[in-house]
Order: sequence, then structure tokens, then C-alpha cells
Amino acid sequence: MTDASIPPTPTATPTRSLTERLGNELSFVPVAVGLIALFLFFATQSDVFLTSRNLSNLLVQSTVTGIIALGLVFVLLTGEIDLSVAATSGVASVFMAKLVMDFGLPVPLAILAGVALGGLVGAASARWVTLIGVPSFVVTLGVGLVLNGIQLLLLPRTGRYNLMNSGVDQLAATHVTGPMAWGLVLCAIVLFALVMGSTWRSRQRAGLSASFNAGVLLPVVIVALFLVGVLVFLENQRGLPMPVILFLALLGVMSYIASETRFGTYLYAIGNNAEAARRAGIKVDRIKITAFAIAGCMAAFGGILSASRSLGVSVSSGGGVGGGALLLESIAAAVIGGVSLFGGRGMVVGALFGALIIATVSNGLNLMGVANEARLIVTGLLLVVAVSIDRGIERLARPG
Amino acid sequence: MTQPILSLRGITKHFGGVKALTDVSLDLEPGKVVALVGDNGAGKSTLVKVMSGVHRPDSGTYLFEGREVAASNPAEVADMGVQTVYQDLALCDNLDAVQNLFLGRELTGPWYTGYRVSRAAAEKRAKEVLKRLRLDSISLTRNVGAMSGGQRQNIAIARSILWEPKVVLLDEPTAALSHSAAEQVGDLVRELASHGLAVLVISHDIHHFVLDNTDRIEVLRLGRNAASFNSKDVTGEQVVNAMVGGNEAVNMAG
Repeated sequence: MTDASIPPTPTATPTRSLTERLGNELSFVPVAVGLIALFLFFATQSDVFLTSRNLSNLLVQSTVTGIIALGLVFVLLTGEIDLSVAATSGVASVFMAKLVMDFGLPVPLAILAGVALGGLVGAASARWVTLIGVPSFVVTLGVGLVLNGIQLLLLPRTGRYNLMNSGVDQLAATHVTGPMAWGLVLCAIVLFALVMGSTWRSRQRAGLSASFNAGVLLPVVIVALFLVGVLVFLENQRGLPMPVILFLALLGVMSYIASETRFGTYLYAIGNNAEAARRAGIKVDRIKITAFAIAGCMAAFGGILSASRSLGVSVSSGGGVGGGALLLESIAAAVIGGVSLFGGRGMVVGALFGALIIATVSNGLNLMGVANEARLIVTGLLLVVAVSIDRGIERLARPG
Repeated sequence: MTQPILSLRGITKHFGGVKALTDVSLDLEPGKVVALVGDNGAGKSTLVKVMSGVHRPDSGTYLFEGREVAASNPAEVADMGVQTVYQDLALCDNLDAVQNLFLGRELTGPWYTGYRVSRAAAEKRAKEVLKRLRLDSISLTRNVGAMSGGQRQNIAIARSILWEPKVVLLDEPTAALSHSAAEQVGDLVRELASHGLAVLVISHDIHHFVLDNTDRIEVLRLGRNAASFNSKDVTGEQVVNAMVGGNEAVNMAG
């Protein structure tokens, strides 16, 4: 990489070591490398793995966990945790199904109502946490069980709402193809380039060091390659599945919020030193409540997407009682993606990589004909390894 | 003699039966560094908390720019132009210097960017301020958690003067620092005064820090004014003597 346009202003600024950068803006690199390694491994083990049909499946499989993990990242950044996300996704999807099937509400309205319910649940839990000062894991554990109960109450005596041909199924079944799909991808790339480009231009105008190649060209090329790659691969299948489009769009919005807005900065500040944030005039409680509300909305939306994919909601929606595998995998996705459970560290894009890794392991081992128990063991070990790598990088980045 | 910008007259503050401060007076002048020294429990921290609006005195007068003010809450006092840097610094280790300097007061772009934080503008401003304070060696883009104690202290001080206060109160800025790091902080303290700020420093490090970097030394003992020295013509022994009172001090200082 060469420095374009203006030379960097001479300062005594020491260069930042690789470990330090791995602990910050490059925190997703180890997990991205791990994901590529997994891809290569499974490609050698199964002829089917790298087919576009399978990769399309894999991507769609990752979306529900991924969307729930996206919201969870905000909560984790503040140093809190929400153990009710899976239950929220279950109860919101059942609520949505009930509105459609029993009350005949139009599908978009019902989906909005479900998402709003999720946001409300998250905000209420967080209000309780900040008001009383109880740890969030206890409150949300309790709230999760309450939601499980409500979910059972909302379901009809058959224990299931069938959503086949209800209109809800269209959400997951829609595929975008042809010029429309290319248009979407182009839009996404242009938006990303605009964000990166405006950062570069404003730095240049302010007379600060700004590298066009490293700051704009490289990230834009990587994002463009990824999106075009996904599109080309899925185009000869049935096009871009709607869940994947929605996941990537939400990923973009959430990344922007976390890295570019005041609210995002405050999430990081609170996660590291809530007292310092409070003294800097930040309304810590309000930020936390907003983060939980966002996590609730995302969880609800994930649940609705899941209902649309499985053509119905039942007792087991939202991972069943206690959240089950859905809860654990959502937390694991965020943590494998480099988001610290202790707050203040990690990037939103980690949720994408984490969710992809979990989906890849499950998909690849299935193709190899490995039994379900091995899948759980491997996913569990991956989680431990990911957290250990993260810890190691954090230690190396410390002074001295 | 310059007019004091901040004056306390006859400040008394009791906590239940504990007489933390009794009839204490103090003046801070623009361009001067005043050291506030005293033994543990002499009332230094209580006095700083009165000045920063955390504690309301039971009686006494708080004059700012010649006018009597209520100084009843910290935000009000900060807006008035009196900034306090506490011992714990209140920095976020996972953010860099620019983010810490502007925390809670970020410059933002227009609504259609979602009030995006204007990083470049903040960095430019931070650069100017650090340069003016001769702190150019501090990296703007490293996390402050990866910096030395002296640099962290200096960032906390730089943050307090970012919005151009008239008075800066420093609570034990050198307590946890090495000798060389304390010297860096000393340089900064004198730099602040040379820009016309009134600076108050609480410090235990009389021989190295206080005598070298301050203009006047105010001694508190058992919650009362015990002595006031011109830093140029006093020895460390005299100051310590006034801190603990009586002749036994000489032995301790030796």
C-alpha cells in the first residue's frame, strides 16, 4: 500500500503494533481467517460443500442466529447480557402469527407489531436492570422464562400456527434475481464507498494524514468482492434469498451505528468505564435501555424470519424452553466474532463471521455424515478457542 | 498582585461530628499554580470538592470573578469555568485520545448522516490543543489503555482544558506516577499557568513536584489554614513542618 495524495504530517506518533490493531479495528481478522480455513477444510472433505446450492443453504442457515447476534452485540458492548433474546424471538413470532391467523391483520403490520413487542420487552428488562441495579443476566434469565410461558399461552390448543400460504412465508421464500439483484449489490457498494470516501475527504480537508488506498480503496474492494462473490455464486441457484439480503442490510446499518454515531461511541465507553461515561455527561441508563430495545427488536425479527422459513410457529419456536441451542448459538456467534463478554470490545461485523462459522461447522459436519453430538462438541470447542485467541490478543496489546 | 479569579472565604464544612473544614480561605490567581498540601485527613479533598461543587459548604463565601456564586452542583461549576481532574482520571481505556477528549461532547454532522461523529474535526482540534500544551508526542489514535501513566494523566488534564476553563483543579496528579512521568505532568501544569489559567494542585510530593512546579504553597492542617509559603523561598522541611505542626516534623522530614 502506498500513500496517495498528501504525505502524512510529521508527528512523533509512534506506529501502532499489529497486536494493538488486532485488538481494535482489525479484531475480525482472526475469525475471518478461521472461517476461510474451515471452508478449505470442508471443501476437501465433501464435494458438495462448495456448490452454490449448499452455500446458499449455509448463508440462509446463518441468518436467524446472525440477526439475533447482531442485536446482542450492542448489549454485550455495554458490558451487559440479554439471556432472553431467544425467548423474545419465540414469543414475538408467535404473537405475529396470532395477529395474522386469529385477527387477520395484514402481514407487514403483524411483523411490525412483533418487532415492536421485542423492543418493548428489551426496554422493560433494561429499565428494571438500571432501576434496581440487579445484574442483567439474572433479570433476563427470569424474563426469558416468563416469555416462554406467555408463548405457550398465546399458542392455540394444537400448539402450532401453520403459516403456509399465510403471506408470512413469502418473507423467507422470496429470491431477488437479475438486474434487481445487481442493483442492490451496486447500491450497497456505493453506499459503503460514500461512507469511507467522506471520512477520507474530511480528514484530507482537515490536513490530517489520510491514505486513499488503505482507507477507501482496500475496504471498498474487499466489500465489493464479497458482495459480488455472494451474488455470482447464488445467481445460478435461485438468486439472492431475502433473509440474506435483510441480514446484510441490518449488518450495514448496525455497523454504521456502532462505529460512526455518538450512540455507538457511548456503547463502547460505557462497556469500558461506566463511571467515566457518566461523569462525561452520558446518560448511561438511557443508552443501555436503547441497546436492550434494539437487541429485542432484532431478536423478534430473527424469530419472525425463522417462523417464515419453517412455515409455522410452535412450542419450539425461539429454541424452546430456556432458549436452547438458539440462545447459546446466538451468544456464541457474537463471542466467536470477537465481541467481549466483559464489554467495550468487538465489532458488529463479528456477528456475521461468528454466525457463518457456526453455520459452516454444522453444515460441513452434516455433509461429512458426522452425527449431531460431534457438531455440538466442535462448536463448543471453537467457542473456547475463539475466546482464548481474543484474550491472548488483548494481553499482547497492553502496555509493558 | 493580580486579582484572584476564585476566592474562598471562611469555608466551614462538617460531616456530622467531623470538622472537615473550619474557616478556610484560599485564593487562586490567573497564571499562578497553587499547591494544596496537608497530611492525610487535613481536608484537601473536601476543599477541592467544595470548589468543584460536589459539596456545599455549611458556611463561607465562594467568589468567582469577584461575584458570589452558589456553586451547588458540579455541572454548573464546570460550565462556569472551573474544571476538576480527579485522581482516577475517568478515561475509557478502549477509546483513543481523541475520543476521550471529546467524550460526551462529540462534534456531529447533519441529520442525514444520523448525526455522524465528525472524527476529522475533533482530531484536528485535539491536535491543536495538544500542540499548544506541548503534548505532541501523545498519539491521537492509540487506545489510552496502551499508554503510560504520565500520558494518561496529561490526556485527562488536556480534556479538562479543551473547553477553555479559567480554573483547573488537579487532585493528586502525580500520586501513581514515576519520577519522570511526574516531571511531564509538572511541565504541563506550568504550561497551563503560562496560558493564563489558575491552577490548583493537590500533591504529597513536596520535594520533587511542589517546590519545582508551583508558585505558592497553601498548607492545611486539621481542616484549617496552617501556613502559606512562596514556593521560591521555602524549604521542603519548612513545608512538612507546617503540615504536621510542631518540632516533631523536622525529624520526620529528615
